[in-house]
Amino acid sequence: MSWKRMAAIMAVFYAVVGILPLFVGDMRFVMHILIMCLIWAVVASCWDVIMGFAGIFSFGQVAFFVAGAYCSAMLAYHLHIPPVWTILIAGCFTGVLGVLVGLPCLKLAGPYVALVTFGVHMTLTPLLRGKIGIAMGSGGATGLLTIPPIQLFGWTFSSEHLVPFFYLTFAVTIICSAIILIIIKSFWGTAFLALKDSEEFATSLGVNAFKYKLMVFAITSFITGVIGAFYGHYVGMLSTRMLNLDLFCTLMVMLVVGGIGQFPGAILGAFITVTVNELLAPLGMYRPLIMGALVAALVLLLPEGVIGLIRSIGSMWRQNDPQTIPSS
Amino acid sequence: MSLEIIDVIISGLITGSVYALMAMGLTLIYGVTKAFNFAYGSFYTMGGYIAWLLLVPIAIAGGYFSVFLLAVPLLFGIGYLLEKFLVAPLRKYDDWEVKVMMVTLGLSLFLDNGYMAVFGGRMKSLPTFVSGQIEIGGAVIMTQDLVIFILAVGGMLCFRWILRNTRTGLAVEAVAQNPAGAQIVGIRKEVIFASTFAISTIMVGLGGILLSQKYFVAPVGGGDIMIKSWVVTAFGGMGSVQGSLYAAFILGMLEAMVGWIFGMDYVMISIFVVLLTTLAVRPKGLMGRG
Amino acid sequence: MLNVADLDAYYGEAQVLKKVSITVEEGQVAVMLGPNGHGKSTLLKSICGLVKKVQGQIEYKGQSIKGLGSDKLVNMGVIYIAENRELFPNMTVLDNLKLGAYSKNARPFERDNMARVFELFPRLKDRRKQMACTMSGGEAKMLAIARGLMSNADFLCIDEPSLGLQPSLRFEVFSTIKEINKQGKTVLLVEQNIPQITELADKLYIMEEGRITFTGNKDEAVCNDHLKEIFLGL
Repeated sequence: MSWKRMAAIMAVFYAVVGILPLFVGDMRFVMHILIMCLIWAVVASCWDVIMGFAGIFSFGQVAFFVAGAYCSAMLAYHLHIPPVWTILIAGCFTGVLGVLVGLPCLKLAGPYVALVTFGVHMTLTPLLRGKIGIAMGSGGATGLLTIPPIQLFGWTFSSEHLVPFFYLTFAVTIICSAIILIIIKSFWGTAFLALKDSEEFATSLGVNAFKYKLMVFAITSFITGVIGAFYGHYVGMLSTRMLNLDLFCTLMVMLVVGGIGQFPGAILGAFITVTVNELLAPLGMYRPLIMGALVAALVLLLPEGVIGLIRSIGSMWRQNDPQTIPSS
Repeated sequence: MSLEIIDVIISGLITGSVYALMAMGLTLIYGVTKAFNFAYGSFYTMGGYIAWLLLVPIAIAGGYFSVFLLAVPLLFGIGYLLEKFLVAPLRKYDDWEVKVMMVTLGLSLFLDNGYMAVFGGRMKSLPTFVSGQIEIGGAVIMTQDLVIFILAVGGMLCFRWILRNTRTGLAVEAVAQNPAGAQIVGIRKEVIFASTFAISTIMVGLGGILLSQKYFVAPVGGGDIMIKSWVVTAFGGMGSVQGSLYAAFILGMLEAMVGWIFGMDYVMISIFVVLLTTLAVRPKGLMGRG
Repeated sequence: MLNVADLDAYYGEAQVLKKVSITVEEGQVAVMLGPNGHGKSTLLKSICGLVKKVQGQIEYKGQSIKGLGSDKLVNMGVIYIAENRELFPNMTVLDNLKLGAYSKNARPFERDNMARVFELFPRLKDRRKQMACTMSGGEAKMLAIARGLMSNADFLCIDEPSLGLQPSLRFEVFSTIKEINKQGKTVLLVEQNIPQITELADKLYIMEEGRITFTGNKDEAVCNDHLKEIFLGL
């Protein structure tokens, strides 16, 4: 997909989302879903950049999200630093964390990367719930319950007034999406495509796989941390329950629905998945059960996601003359 | 104090032996099929629940003997079918590795919450094999622990013998070393892939039955187990059975020691730190090859 | 014994074989020559059930074998011996040979075939405890052929047995193939362009760009100036 087409699709999509509050602004439930959609769209696209474009099997995406959220919330709650700053600090923190995790593991073979990054995820729960976490102010098993809202130019953005908060999220999301688009379509993106095609060939051209992987890993970790911190200040409470596998799987569903490595797809996937997930909320404990089955079913049945589906329907439409059967 | 240390060492040896059994299964799947199984921990829990179902509500005649007799074919069947219907169809894609990880993670979420829905969130305890204790030179060992150790090590040796000395075992090794060559001599790769997956399911399921008597059966206990067997596998070197054996005992000891000195909160963290340092120094693990 | 008619084969979208027809009679050595990358190996692999997408007819002993998996074909007595050998590197020579006799119909003959193979390749007997990856190129080639014989096959599809071997070893391999043929095995052999091979051939095929461009025996080939220059180097 060309750069202009990608940007155009995103612009149209976000423009439509951007005017939605004019119609549904007084429906809190809908507005909440929209804000969640925007937030998760960023997380899912970051993951797509790592997995789909950079080809790193990272399973630490939720961990970085939660780390960012906790970092910002703890700073704002205990040290009373304005949330605007804590969000940025949290982003830098997760960015550095990304480098620290990436340094030893990005040179390893795929499954090892998955293991180490997933290990970060699994270590975070005992860390935050245990004595170390409590000593740092994570609130232990209860979590943090009263995280201060974001204040900007004397305005308070909180979950009480959803429409202003929506537009704040909207702005942040667009900035993040633009950064992601630039990463994908810049020289880096090209370098990654080359690396995916033939690592040896790309390396011989002077593309340093490790350096690029580390940089992209750091940037996406930064963005994920920022958006995680943002999320924390929005919902106002955090607990280690976010690290349960169901959120992880939900994120995975977004990616699978959108299509791995089909960039604007992840955004679409996030919107679909978040909406369906919120609608499934009344099912309670059966929701993760369904989510799990859904991941497996979707990977098997929809290998290229919604974008792939749309594309193959489109090409079926066009390919009506029988002469297109391969011959040479 | 000194006696306590012996207890800790014994506990480390026992958990180490069961980890070794489970890690052997994981290293086998990875070595042969190159697939990564995220649902591994859920099969551990499955083993525990199978044992509980047979022993407590059904109260099967023959106790644990019948449990093993029934669980082995049952776990094999479950593993075989899951591979055939969930993993095998993905092999045709270029990025099948990620897809397999995703499917198995979904499966694990499904199974864990399925256990929760069927059996409820309360932990179940299993009756012990044998009661009583043995005294060796002042140290007291629970007979049960000894039996667990013997069964785990025995199971491992048994699987190893099968892999080394039977025609099917040789075929499994052949697929691991050269899938194309295996196809040429007429080995059906798909059957071997599914069988390997099934055998590893047996290994971790047996691990579940063995360890669940010491601990409990809980619907979500599998995540930790998966991570630990994974760490053992990566730490020892993927595909190296011998490496994972050493790694299992080292980590079993580490867990017991850290748990004893600093508390259980630090176990996972310390394991992770050890893994990261090992991988930083030796990217293929302790005895990794290739 | 083997009858291939109008065979098309594809790798993905690319068509590699175009309407290929060949016949090999029992007890013959048929040799297929042709430049690299023109579909010779693909033909052998298609016959042996190692290529997924094929169209046309393949008959072996009067029975259609098109679309059968390699496991079934090995059992019927058709074996592929790969140019790059495809051995099991971290296994002993003995285990490699044992795996050669993996198919059901080969198992009862494992002992007999092992003895015959060791008679044919005495060097393998000396090295039977050695890992396959430590063997030299020539020995590995022999092991690959020996492993193929272990399957008790009647029909051997041998892919470039001389590839990467020095001339003296080539000669050894060819004479071994002749010996195998004398013992009653039918052979379909693929080579690039080696003069000695015509001595071996009962029948000669040339494949260029996925098509058979010449069929005939040795004498006919020698009369053809174009072939003489390009393929036989005479």
